[in-house]
Parts: sequence; structure tokens; C-alpha cells
Amino acid sequence: MELELRDVSKHFGGIQALNGVSLRLSGSQLVGLIGPNGSGKTTLVNTISGIYKPDDGEIILNGEEIGRLKANEVTRRGVGRTFQVTRAFRRMTVMENMLVPALAVPSDRGHREIKERAREILSFLTIDHLRNDYARSLSGGQQKLLELGQLLMTDPDLLLLDEPFAGVHPKLMETIFEYITTVHAQGKSFIIISHDMSSIFTLSQRLVVLHYGDIIADGPPDIVKEDPAVIEAYLGEDEDD
Amino acid sequence: MTTYAKSTGRRFWFRPQWAAALVALVIALLVPLYLQIHSPYWLHVLIVAYFYAILASSWSLLAGYAGQFSFGHMAFMAIGAYTTGLIGRLVRLTTAPTGMCAEIPLPGRDLWLVFINTVGDNCLELGKVNMPAGTLIYRPPILSGIILGALIAGLAGLAIGALVLRFKAAYLALFTIAFSEILRTLIRGEPQITRGDHGLRVAPLFPQTISRVPDYYTMLAILVASLLFMYWLASSRVGLFLRAIREDEEAAAARGVDVVRYKVLTFVITSMLAGLAGAFFAHYITILSPNIIVLPQMGLVIAMAIIGGVESLAAAAIGGMIIQISLELLREFEAWRLVIFGALLILTLRFARNGLLAPLLQRLSGTVPRAESREEASQAELGEEVGA
Repeated sequence: MELELRDVSKHFGGIQALNGVSLRLSGSQLVGLIGPNGSGKTTLVNTISGIYKPDDGEIILNGEEIGRLKANEVTRRGVGRTFQVTRAFRRMTVMENMLVPALAVPSDRGHREIKERAREILSFLTIDHLRNDYARSLSGGQQKLLELGQLLMTDPDLLLLDEPFAGVHPKLMETIFEYITTVHAQGKSFIIISHDMSSIFTLSQRLVVLHYGDIIADGPPDIVKEDPAVIEAYLGEDEDD
Repeated sequence: MTTYAKSTGRRFWFRPQWAAALVALVIALLVPLYLQIHSPYWLHVLIVAYFYAILASSWSLLAGYAGQFSFGHMAFMAIGAYTTGLIGRLVRLTTAPTGMCAEIPLPGRDLWLVFINTVGDNCLELGKVNMPAGTLIYRPPILSGIILGALIAGLAGLAIGALVLRFKAAYLALFTIAFSEILRTLIRGEPQITRGDHGLRVAPLFPQTISRVPDYYTMLAILVASLLFMYWLASSRVGLFLRAIREDEEAAAARGVDVVRYKVLTFVITSMLAGLAGAFFAHYITILSPNIIVLPQMGLVIAMAIIGGVESLAAAAIGGMIIQISLELLREFEAWRLVIFGALLILTLRFARNGLLAPLLQRLSGTVPRAESREEASQAELGEEVGA
């Protein structure tokens, strides 16, 4: 998997959410994306996943410009994403939630195979027993697991996770950790947005720090956390708190 | 067919909802044997009830499944009705050219498609002078008008569906109200074509009989075929995608669903069904006026679907039938019956968001979702594990 962002900009009215962001991901990487509130993290994920179109710049996935594609077309090219606030299809069962991406993205799998795969993933995520329940009856953490399960149904090469640990019970957080490490070991790439510093420092091989739409640091977590610009822009706030 | 709706795991003919539907169909097939002798008027009421059942159920596919709260459904019905009516009034097939009308020779056949003018002297009458003796003049087959009515309604649905793609909730409702009112004004404003408020005469589908029985069975067949088609659609992957779009368009797109394609497809299909119902209804009532698309008519269809259960095709259809029949039964209450149904609609919206009939049908079919208290149970289970 090769992803390259070249001078990507996005603004909303007078607010410059992304200011010429350039980033390159190659092979199987686990990238943490951090930054203070309003720094442009979710905008970046929305722009890569086709929810937003960049005002300027290019997003190249495996040699193809995807910046102008619709979200469903980006998904079909192997990019999956979760949302900051879970957006499972609430009045559909857990199994139906799993079937939507599997059927929307063309594959060679038959009906039986798709359902078996869904159950396998749900079992891995410890929510197979809830497969016939409506998604709205799941707890917030279980809905996060469901979203993660939906991603695997399309077998994406790049997974964009927006705050996967926010508001999650510690027990479920362990499951999410296991999910990320297992899927990453299968050769998939991740960009993970998180405010949970201990989780993101533990998981990431590389940290990218956004501040007011600019990348102010990019490198191994140990080095990034010592970066004075990062400390001032973000980590410093925590220390002050 | 591969279905993706929740299943009870039983073969479909053993499922109670299909058994109930079969019993209802048998009763519906037998009803005319009694009514045509004892109360032909009630046969008429049932035909109208089936007409509204098609409209309410197809609107529920659009609004309840796909989440597109359109007020334009009756306009698409009217497009189907007026298309077949206008074809009957203004189009003829002749075995020789008139030389006076706009006309198109049909390839491979000695037939001309003739369009009669609506201003000035009738070109067909003038053209008869030039036509050779023995020239035959036909009205196009009624079936072709009905099919064209459905197709043109579908095309209009395609155009409107594409225009309202980005509209949601109130904006979609306002746009479709405006579309409906523009169409009504056009029909009223072009009386030389549509006959406006004077009413457009439409040929009956079964002119050789005064019995309503053939019309009854035809409308029943359209209702059953429409419901079967919509059920097939709703239980296929398309139905799954429509429900995902209804829940969250952005999330559906992020899961790979082509939101634009399926939203437009739903507009086209439901518009075609409304157009088909309207086209046949035009040949049943034999006169059309712009009043068929006044806003209260659309409100009535919405009330039928909502009181029945907007997320269930069968519940919306049964709601349509029950309300239409009830309106007849309560006729002596005059305007008060509308007040009663208005109040019922308000109470349904407030206390039974899934309608009054849909929960009953869910119980019958055994597709009631597990209790939401499951959430509490799983939380308790999780708490025990953590505690342990």
C-alpha cells in the first residue's frame, strides 16, 4: 500500500483546516495522528476517505489520484474508516451492519462465505452473541467494535481509525488493542487518531502531529514526544493541566 | 433469490406472515363474488382502497426504507394518469399520413403515429379529406398508455431524484411540494391540452362491461405485483443499502454504498409504481382533474403510511386500505372524520413511531428485535468479567 498526500489543503469559510499537508505512507505502517482539538486530524481523515474533497493538492493511493473520488469509490480502493462518534446503522441488526460493506464492495465471496466471515470477525471482536440485536441496543464500546468489524468485511489495506479508544470500557479497549495489532500483523496500514496518549504511544511506529492544519512533527514516538514544538503545541497543554 | 433481511429460519410458506398474506389474498379474490351482487359500491371503495395501498406502500419504500421524505408522490401518480389520458386524447395511429398533423411513420409497418393539435381546427379532421378511402384510424392501445405513463413517471422520478440528491428533511419536502404545485398549476394553466379544471376524459379499461369486477381484479393484481416486487427489492442487497442510507448517508458511503445511485434508483422505482397506479386509476375513474394532486391528497397518503407503519410495506398498504375504508364508513361525520384521522396521525407520531400495524405484523412474523434491555444485560456481564 502506498499513500501520498501532496500539499493537501482544506478550508471551511475562514478556517484553514489543512494547510498544504504532505505525508507519505509506504508498506504496512501504524501511524498515530495527534494534535490539539481543532488541529485538523478528523478533516485529514475525512479528506483521505473521500468525505471531503481537498481544495488543493493531491491524494495518491497506489499510484491513483483519489482526492476527487466519492467516499464509496475510495472505500472500494481499499481504504476503510471509522468515525469519532460511532456511526453504526442503529436500526439495523449487527449482522446487517456487517453485510452492508461486504455487499457494497464487490468481491468473489458468496452469500454463505460472507456470513461466515462476518461471524468470524464478530467472534474475534467478542460480539457474535449480539449479531441479531439492533445496533442501537449495543453499548458505545460495542458499537465501536462493530464499526471495526465492518471495516474488515471489505478487507482494506489502509484503516483510518478516528478516536477508537474514546469512551471505551477498559475491557473493550483490550479487544481494540488486539484488533489493531492482529490486523497490522496481517500487513495492513493504520492511521489512528487518538487523544489517549498512552495508547497511541504504545501502539504507533510513527507519530504525526498536526497543529492548526500544519504537520509540526513526524517521526518515531520517542523522538516526537521530545520535540519542543509538539510539547508547546500539544503535550505541553496536558502538562499544564 | 438471496435475501438479507432478518429471517426466522423457516421455509417461507411456513412463516405466519406469508400464511396470513395468502389467506388475505384468497379473501380478496372471493370478495367480488359477494359484493358485485349485494353492494357494487363497496367494490368501488375497495378498488380505491387498493389504489391508495399501492401509493402508501411505495411511499413507505421511499420514505421508510430510503429516508427520502418526499411530498411529490401524488405528482408522479398524476404524471402516469395524465400521460395515458393525453395519449388517448391526442395520439392516434393511422394507416395513411394525414398531411396536416405532426406525425411519425412507424418503421416496418404502414402505420403513422399522429399527434392531434390542441390549438385551432382539429388537424385529424382536416386531414381526413386528403386520406385515401379505407384509411383506418385507431386509438393507441390503453395498455401502451399505461406502460408509457409508468415510464414517464419513472423518468420524472429520475430527474427529480437527481435534483434532490443533496436535499434532506425539510428541504426535500419543500422542493417536492413545489414540484407538485408547479405540476398542478401547469395542468390547470394549459386547459387546451389537459382540459384543466373541466376534467380530462379517459377511456375505460373495460368498456364492454359496466361491472367493476374486472377493474377490481386488475387493481388487486397491480397491488399484489407491486408489493411482491417491493418485498423482493427490500429483502435484497438494495433494501439493505437503502436502510443504511436512511440511517446515515455519510456512513453508508464510507462503507462502500453508492448513495447517489441507490437514492435515484429508489425515486425512479417508486415514481414508476405511483405512475402505474395513477395510469390504471385514470382508466377506472375515467376523468382526471388537477384536484388529484392537491396537497391534502398527498397528506392522506402520508397519513396512511405513517399510521400503518412507514418502515413496513405491508403495514403501509394495510394502513392505506383501512383508512380509505374507514373514511367511507365515517362519511356521515363529514369533515369530522378528517379531524379524527388528523388526531390519530398526531398520536401515532407521538406514541407509536413505527405505526400502529407494523408492530403487530412484526409479532406475527416473529421478527421483533431482541429487547433493548439486552444492552443492560451485556453491560452487567461485562461488569462481572471485569470484576472477576
